[in-house]
Amino acid sequence: MAVTTNQNLDGKQGAPRRRRLRTRELGYYLFLAPAFAFICFTMIYPVFSNLRMSVYGVNVATFLSNTAPFVGLSNYTKVLQDPTFQNAFMLSVLFTIGSLVFQFTIGFALAVLFNRSFPGNGLLRALMLLGWMLPTVVSGSIYRWMFDGDNGIINYLLQSVGLMDSARFWLIEPRTALIGTIVANIWVGIPFNMILLLPGRQSISHTLYEAASIDGATGWQSFRRITLPLMRPVALSVLLLGFIYTFKVFDIVYVMTCGGPVNATTVLPIYVYLLSFNFFRFGDGAAAAVLLLLPLSVVAIGYLWLSQREEAAS
Amino acid sequence: MRPAAPAAPEGEAAAPAEGGDAAPAAGAVTIAWWDYMAAANGAALDTQMANYMEANPSVAVERTYIPFADLKQKLLQGAAAGQLPDVVIIDNPDHSSFAALGVFADLTDLVQTWGQADSYFEGPWASTVYQGKNYGIPDNSNCLVLWYNKDLTEPAGVQPPANWDELVSASAALSDGDRYGLAMSGVKSEEGTFQWLPFLWMTGEDLPTLDSDGGRAALQLWTDLVNDGYMSPGILNWTQGDVKGQFENGLAAMMVNGPWQIPVLKDEAPDLNWDVVTLPVEKQGASILGGENTAIVGSTENLDAAWELLTWRQEPDNLKAYLLEAGKLPSKADMAQDEAWTSDPVLNVFVEQLKVAKPRNYGPNYPEISNAIQEMMQAAISGQKPVDAAVADAQAVITPLLPA
Repeated sequence: MAVTTNQNLDGKQGAPRRRRLRTRELGYYLFLAPAFAFICFTMIYPVFSNLRMSVYGVNVATFLSNTAPFVGLSNYTKVLQDPTFQNAFMLSVLFTIGSLVFQFTIGFALAVLFNRSFPGNGLLRALMLLGWMLPTVVSGSIYRWMFDGDNGIINYLLQSVGLMDSARFWLIEPRTALIGTIVANIWVGIPFNMILLLPGRQSISHTLYEAASIDGATGWQSFRRITLPLMRPVALSVLLLGFIYTFKVFDIVYVMTCGGPVNATTVLPIYVYLLSFNFFRFGDGAAAAVLLLLPLSVVAIGYLWLSQREEAAS
Repeated sequence: MRPAAPAAPEGEAAAPAEGGDAAPAAGAVTIAWWDYMAAANGAALDTQMANYMEANPSVAVERTYIPFADLKQKLLQGAAAGQLPDVVIIDNPDHSSFAALGVFADLTDLVQTWGQADSYFEGPWASTVYQGKNYGIPDNSNCLVLWYNKDLTEPAGVQPPANWDELVSASAALSDGDRYGLAMSGVKSEEGTFQWLPFLWMTGEDLPTLDSDGGRAALQLWTDLVNDGYMSPGILNWTQGDVKGQFENGLAAMMVNGPWQIPVLKDEAPDLNWDVVTLPVEKQGASILGGENTAIVGSTENLDAAWELLTWRQEPDNLKAYLLEAGKLPSKADMAQDEAWTSDPVLNVFVEQLKVAKPRNYGPNYPEISNAIQEMMQAAISGQKPVDAAVADAQAVITPLLPA
C-alpha cells in the first residue's frame, strides 16, 4: 500500500512529500466519509441507543418524560426468566437450523445442476430467483393458503397420493405450525443459496474432473473429493450469511401465523416486536433485542474472520 | 430489530392529498394531520378539509396518510424525536395508551366549555377519556353484527339466531360438506380479541371476572363450535378479511363482521344475497365498539386552531356529510337517529347494535391484556389447554394489568 512504502522514504524530500501524501490520504478518508456517516447514523447509533435503553426502565409512563430509572440488568433477568422468551429462543434455533439444512442442501444440489449446460439453463435459473424476489408478504400469504386445512393444496396433494387420510390444519396445530413456516422459509431461501454457491462451483477447473475421470474416479468420488473440499470456503460463507439472515426472520412467520397458535411460532424477532411495539415495554424489548443480537454478532464476527483469512490466502 | 429503520419509505408515507393549493393568508396556521384513511375514507376526509379551508382561509390542513400497521410505530418514533403532527386520527382501543404515553393533549377544559360530551354514545366517548381527563373526540364508530347468507338459510328453513342456543343449532343446520355454518376470526392479533369479547360481555361478565361461569361459557361456545365441526379450526388463522372471504365464497353460511365489509361485499359479490341481524343474546345483548377518535398532540403549537377544526367537524351538517361519504357510522347518539341511517335496513341494524357496543376501555396495558385473551382463545380452541385452565391462566395474567 502507498502509505507503507512512503513511510520508508526519508531524506530531504520527505517533508513536502509527506504533506502531499496527507492531503491525498485525506482524500481517501473523504471518500469513506459518506459510508462511515451512513453506518454511524443508521447502525451504530441505533445499536448504542438500544443498548442504553436496555438498562433503563423505559415503559409507557417514562418513554417521553425521559425519567426512566437506571435499572441495571433487571430488564435482562426479566426477559431471560420469561418462559415466552425461552420458548422463542428455542424456536428461533429450530427455525434457523431447519431452514439452513434444507436451503443449503437443495441450493447446493441446484448449484451443481445449473453448473452443467443444458437447454433452458439460463431461463430456469432466472425463474428460480423469482421466489427470492417476491415480496415476503406475498410468498407468506401464498404459503398460508397452501397450508390451509380446508382448502389448502398441500392437504389435497398429500391426500390424493394417499399419504394422509384426513385433512390437517398445519398452521393451527402447535407441532406442525413451525414446520409450515420453515418450509415456506426454505422455499424463499433456496435461490439465495444457489446463486451464491454457483460461482463457487463454476470456479473449479474442468481439468481436475478430467484428470480424476482418467484415473477412473466415479461421479460420486469426484463430487466428494473435488467438489466438496474446493467449495468449503464459499459454502461456509453461505452458511454463516444464511444463519444471520434466518435468525432474524420476522415477516414470513408473522404473515403466516402472527406467532400463533398461542406462541408456537413466536420466534425471537416476533417476541421483540410484541414487547416494544405492541406492549410498549421498551426497556424489556431493547434487552430482548440485544439478546437477539448476541448470537448474530458472534456469527458475523466469525464470518468476517473467515473472509479475511480467505482474502489473505488468495 | 433496528429501532431507527423507518416504518415506511418516506415517499410512501408522505404520499397523497395535500389539502388545497390556496396560498395561506397572513398570520396563517398550518395544521399537520396524520391518519390511515385510504380509498373512500381518505377521499371523504379530503373533501371535508377542502371545505374547511374554504371557510377558513387562514388555516391550511396538511394531511399525511400513514398505513394502519405503521401508525403506532410512527407516532412513537415521532414522539421520541419531537416530530409529531398537530392532529391524529387513531384506532379507539389505542387511544388510552397514547394518552398515558403523554403524546396527546389534555382537552378537559375545552371539552367542558364545549358542552357536547353528552350527545355521544357512552362507549365511543369513554374511549377518549383516560384517568378522568378528556384526550379527544370520537370520529366514527363501528361494531360487529351477525351476517347470514339468505340463499343458504332460507332453503334450510333457518331463522337468524337470536340467542346462543339458536346460534349453535343454526350453525349445525347450515354446516354441510365443505361449508361451515359459521365463521369468526380467532387470529392471534387484536382482531381475534375484538371478535371474542362481545361473547364474554353477553354473559354479563367482564375481564375482571373472566374466570367465571360466564367467561368459561363464552370460550366453551367457540371451542364447541369448532370441535363439533360447525366452525373451521382455520379461524385461528383467519383475519376478519379472511372471514369475509369464506362468507363471500359460500364456505361459511354466517359470519360475525363489521360495517366496513358492506361496500366490499357489494363490490366483490354483488349477487350474494345477504342480510344482517344483531348478535345473538345470552344474558344480555352486546357487541364491541370499533372506530376511530381524533386527538390533538400535546406538543402542538396550534392547540386553538386544531380544536376549532375538530369541533367544526362535529357540527351536524359537516359530520353527516363526511360519515355518509366515508360509509361510516356516527358516534353521536342524536345523529344515529337521522333518517340517513335509520331508513337503510342494513345500516339500521348496525345503529341498533351500536347501542349495546362496549369499548375496550381497559387502560394503557390493554395490548398486553389483549395478547393474553388471544393466547387463551388459541390454547382452548386448538385443544392445547382445557377451557377452565385457559380461562384461569388468562385471568392470572390479566388481573394485574387492569387499571386499579
